[in-house]
Amino acid sequence: MKVISQEQLNLWLADLLKQTVVVAPIEKHGKIQYQEINSISQIVWDFTRPELPPRNWVIPMTEPILFIEQGPTTVLKQPDLPHEKILFGLRPCDSRSFKVLDALFWDKEPADPQYARHRQALTLIGLACPEMWDSCFCTVVGGAPDDTEGLDILLTRIDDGFAVQAITEKGQALVSGLDLLQWSGVPADPSEARGLPKLHESAEWAAVFKDVFWKELSHACLSCRVCSFVCPTCRCYDVRDEVIAICPNGKVYERLRAWDTCTSMGYRRIAGGHNPRETQVKRLKNRFYCKFMYYPEDFGVLGCVGCGRCIDACPAGIDILEVVEKVDLKLAQAQI
Amino acid sequence: MTFIEDQIRQTARKYLENDEVSCVIGYERDTRGRSRPVFIESVDQVDRLVWGPDCNLNLASYLHERKHSPGKDQPIPKTAVVLRPCDTRAINLLINEQQVARENVRIIGVTCEGSEINGSLRVDCEFCQERVPPLYDDLILTELPVEVPESADPYADINEMDQWTPEERLAFWTSEFDRCIRCYACRQACPGCYCFECVAEKLDPHWVSIALEVPEKMFFHVMRAYHLAGRCVGCGACEAVCPMDIPLGKLNRKVAKEILELFDYRTGDSIETHPPLVCFNPNERLNL
Repeated sequence: MKVISQEQLNLWLADLLKQTVVVAPIEKHGKIQYQEINSISQIVWDFTRPELPPRNWVIPMTEPILFIEQGPTTVLKQPDLPHEKILFGLRPCDSRSFKVLDALFWDKEPADPQYARHRQALTLIGLACPEMWDSCFCTVVGGAPDDTEGLDILLTRIDDGFAVQAITEKGQALVSGLDLLQWSGVPADPSEARGLPKLHESAEWAAVFKDVFWKELSHACLSCRVCSFVCPTCRCYDVRDEVIAICPNGKVYERLRAWDTCTSMGYRRIAGGHNPRETQVKRLKNRFYCKFMYYPEDFGVLGCVGCGRCIDACPAGIDILEVVEKVDLKLAQAQI
Repeated sequence: MTFIEDQIRQTARKYLENDEVSCVIGYERDTRGRSRPVFIESVDQVDRLVWGPDCNLNLASYLHERKHSPGKDQPIPKTAVVLRPCDTRAINLLINEQQVARENVRIIGVTCEGSEINGSLRVDCEFCQERVPPLYDDLILTELPVEVPESADPYADINEMDQWTPEERLAFWTSEFDRCIRCYACRQACPGCYCFECVAEKLDPHWVSIALEVPEKMFFHVMRAYHLAGRCVGCGACEAVCPMDIPLGKLNRKVAKEILELFDYRTGDSIETHPPLVCFNPNERLNL
């Protein structure tokens, strides 16, 4: 295995920072967040997982996807091409989330043009987790604390530096100039067997769709947007044309795309006022079925990477792992 | 089981056994040891109810989901709710605003030792003189009498903020709202925020852009603070649920202080008093 010292790694990163935009975990407002950095010294090395997921770099919270200028002829303009970026220090669950998003936005034709532009500009460098923290459950959904899915390069902390695994050609090209050392050791396995529940296949979830426990679970749900907004794989958005300028020839609009989510009350409301998901239970259930049934059936990958952010952030204490456990229990009871 | 929990459970049992309510809303501990709301509908579940300083939501908010008849010819459900003194003030507000009928609610009022957010006592609780709920059906007592803090200016931090220049205040709040993700958890957790369609989400007219950027976020929070002027009970639920730890209580306390000074009014004193900004009183004299 190839390794690099912290000192050499810092030099390499400093060099990359001169050439391109680097996003890395830093401390901001007392929380760890993925942010663009100006200096290597900003990077935080010991952290659990950043407060918000990295999907902001492929689906920004707010983004104009088109400009529309009225006039004798209407002019349509695409926004400028996004800058090349390195996302450094991604936790493996977060890097896996890019594969989940790719399945919908990029892998199938037609690709989402704005997503593709962002995605092509990214290089993903991961930092393996030294352990699984309290609300982590990546191993339940097919991941691991040292998973390489979605990454170009994975770094794993070892005693005096980092083990370097170049996963893709892009990653290999990036580390090719580095003076890496040989190391005969193997990094410790950070996966933990701690009695996490079993996740059932998507097709099995249909059997518990009408179970009464969904209603019980949803009582406490506030119908806010926290769980989705901290989720690396929730990707729903709203689009509006908003006026940004009024000119002699007419108005200039930007077509804005901004995060939205199925858990909020008005999300599913349609013209005429009907709301097919008017109740908490329908909205909350949709979020879980989307992750564990609809998304895998439509796009071939699970819609959850097991980061556990929603577990920590939910103000009503709704726990996705408890849901997985409950479904397991209900299906087991149905067998008897 | 603590002294308080024992009383809460007994009271819940009484209500459910007598069929006086169909549900008791209180707190339970999840498998990770954290408090969360629980909806108890049968007697055999009452032992799930717990109490602690981290029980920091305002469960009165959940009454909005239960204020309508669930179907044709079905009565509005009766609900018992575990509340702190400041939380019960929200019941007075909601009765006054005709959202909740008194006969449909049973208030299990807990003598309050203060609530915590992320392990620290809330600022409001440091100065709070009201340890017994102003409104209750059942009073839950503490084992030892609660020490009421010595009377001090509850708005000391607000007075300090008032000394800042407008530029300093803007810089402070811009920085705080910068990290808001517009998740609306504050609004959803608030007993006073019950509009069917919030201004921030209204599509026609489209008052606020869908953008999740500082101007929209600031608009949302300032608008909400204004809509809660004289209606905020200071329960701190908004701050407790904020995933980004934005000090929303500070904003609401600033407005509450203004309302107190202008109108000599405190939210939720009784079901009779209307919030000053939602009524017209020809004899009104501002303390200007």
